[in-house]
Amino acid sequence: MIDERLFEQFRYIGRDIFDAGLTSSHGGNMSVRVGDRIIIKRRGAQFRRLKIEDFVETKLYEKDSGVARASTELIVHREIYLRTSALAVIHCHPRTAIALSLSRDEIIPIDNEGSYLLRKIPVVSVEFASGSREMAETIAEALQGYKIIMQRGHGCFSIGETLEDAYQWVSALEEVSDIILRHQLLGEPLIEYRKHSDSYSKW
Amino acid sequence: MEGWNYKILDIDLSAKTITEQPLDEGIARHFLGGRGLGVRLLWDLVGPDVEPLSPENVLIFSTGPLTASGSQTSNRFNVSAKSPLTGGVLHANSGGWWGMQLKRTGYDALIVRGKADEPVWIEITTDGATIKDAAHLWGKGVFETTELLGQDNNKRNVLCIGPAGEYLSLMAAIMNDRERALARGGPGAVMGSKNLKAIVVAGKQKKNQSADREQFKFMLYETGKLLKASPLTSQAFPEFGTSVVMNLINEIGALPTRNFQESQFEHAEKISGEHLAETILVKNQACWACPITCTRISKTEAGEGEGPEFETAWSFGAQCGVDDLEAIFEANMVCNDMGMDTISVGNTIGCAMELAERGLIEGDLRFGRADLLMGIVGDIALRRGLGAEMADGSYRFADKYGAPELSMTGKKLELPAYDPRGMQGQGLVYATGNRGACHETGNMLGPEVLAIPRLIDRFANQGKAGIVANHQDTAAVVDSLVLCKFTNMVVSVEFFARTLSAVNGSNFTADDLMKVGERTWNMERLYNLREGFTKADDTLPKRLLEEPVAEGPSQGHTVRLEGMLEEYYQFRGWDEDGVPKQKKLIELGLDAMVD
Repeated sequence: MIDERLFEQFRYIGRDIFDAGLTSSHGGNMSVRVGDRIIIKRRGAQFRRLKIEDFVETKLYEKDSGVARASTELIVHREIYLRTSALAVIHCHPRTAIALSLSRDEIIPIDNEGSYLLRKIPVVSVEFASGSREMAETIAEALQGYKIIMQRGHGCFSIGETLEDAYQWVSALEEVSDIILRHQLLGEPLIEYRKHSDSYSKW
Repeated sequence: MEGWNYKILDIDLSAKTITEQPLDEGIARHFLGGRGLGVRLLWDLVGPDVEPLSPENVLIFSTGPLTASGSQTSNRFNVSAKSPLTGGVLHANSGGWWGMQLKRTGYDALIVRGKADEPVWIEITTDGATIKDAAHLWGKGVFETTELLGQDNNKRNVLCIGPAGEYLSLMAAIMNDRERALARGGPGAVMGSKNLKAIVVAGKQKKNQSADREQFKFMLYETGKLLKASPLTSQAFPEFGTSVVMNLINEIGALPTRNFQESQFEHAEKISGEHLAETILVKNQACWACPITCTRISKTEAGEGEGPEFETAWSFGAQCGVDDLEAIFEANMVCNDMGMDTISVGNTIGCAMELAERGLIEGDLRFGRADLLMGIVGDIALRRGLGAEMADGSYRFADKYGAPELSMTGKKLELPAYDPRGMQGQGLVYATGNRGACHETGNMLGPEVLAIPRLIDRFANQGKAGIVANHQDTAAVVDSLVLCKFTNMVVSVEFFARTLSAVNGSNFTADDLMKVGERTWNMERLYNLREGFTKADDTLPKRLLEEPVAEGPSQGHTVRLEGMLEEYYQFRGWDEDGVPKQKKLIELGLDAMVD
């Protein structure tokens, strides 16, 4: 079962995600891979108030009773671990990024930090937007080429070697999206300052 | 050429034949080159019945699909063989110019098999290869041999062994470009056993051209941007060399001292990169196509040359209780000229010092005796006196005197400069290393100390196995492309995949490359299992498992290996004995390798 050191990581990251406004009280989920098992937040646990009993351990390669309490998106997390080298997954609902995902197929940062970190965030679309096999396969496939992707109208999926990795990409994505939004609100033309910036769309 | 020449040069020194064979395109994509290609070829060529120092062992020198492309640090190459030190898989890689030059001769790899009747050297150009008499070179040091064979960094590059290889020291390295080393596991002894003194490459072919030049330029630019932005690659390494980590490792209580009896060295500052820069450093230098320039050129009254690197400054320094940087550098130079692995040699000397202090061997060796270093290094190379026994490495030496537990080795390979009691993940890296206990096959220095990509709890155990396995697979990718691991401290595998895509013209994702890394790791595991290795070999010296660190920041810790190892096997898809399961082998396309 989850040990104190690992639980502490979940607790801090959960608190930070909520405090940064990256998800609603109960929305989203996160997990880590330990050996051939997944430790994932239980369905309905609050990000801001995580307790050690809010975590479920389940097998990676086969289903077990853990699925009864695990997050709705366990199927997506499992598929991501099977298809990528991720050791941690975060799914949450960053608002500005969701707003941008409603009108574009990719989010390309215009700020310096975002360009360095992310270069491009693809937006994928699925009919059944929560916990479906189609969703799991689409998202896992997209994450084979990117460390964070947006699901249109739903939220982001971010991967890393640690929870902190995955959290950084979520945090960066929302900052990137916020800057794009503010720039659009200004309505002024962009003065390009980055060499090869036209290549980011091919990233 | 789009990454590969699809040609392997095959030289049989017994039969005196020189042939070419095609590099299979499927193998190239599945193993890339370098270390991956090396172990794949080794699997077919060298079975369990072959003695490592017999003519039936082979040396496989291999480049990668990025070699000579001009991509940052694309100068490196690999050697593979069966190790005479460990009895398992050997892979070692080196920078400089030689690898780039081999690629430019038009070959991806070179296989050397058999044994020459008399000492020979080989010359390879774009017109082919010739085997030449080396009678005038045998017995000479690496520096003189390199000069006699006409080293010219941009046109003609020399790889050779020194006397240690000729005397079949199991710690003998193969040296290239004078002072670069293919060091770990005793490749120099394999070369010496073949009566092969040197291999000279002079390539004239155009550099490895990219299929998509615009994308390649973009990747060069983006990679360069990150290397410049990182304080590690743009400031720390250029200014202080790899020894920049000496004080950091010491501060956290992970610098093995006096044969791992302690984890902090009271004189660490005197052997640090900062002290080196203030004292004997002449300048820094770079390998071909490398913007990092971490190489140190130092000088004392004894001469001028490369080094010392962090590992060397540790092995002759803290490991031996020596704080005299000049003496360390001079021992380093003797090692380079004799052609030996500085980690293994320094570690073995530290072991001998402890044996002497405990009265198990006679002689003057004691911790702190800097004045004895150069002499004992020479004795090991030339198998003189006590050196004759030490030349076979720490484990065999300590075992001979009834104290194998004082040998700080894993699978008989000498441990490097990190005390795993203060870095639990590093302990798992050592214990599971296919070539033996070595940091280079999955170094946890980044996440456990330097916060690269971010800091993780170095004393934590749960969840560590996956991170270690990922780092091992990543290292296998870097070693197969073949690039320098320092780029990977800043640039992720995603960048390598995009650069390779630009060079080759077809799409490689980061996960494609990670799968290559995992395949390579499992292939090496299969090789060792075929050689008779078992779960019992995935372990560490008793001292690290049972003797808690007495004081300092790591006080009270041992390596809690058992739980991590179980999690590691599960993560890898291996059974409880550490054997890859059929399902995993099918997933990696390796199922045909085993019955």
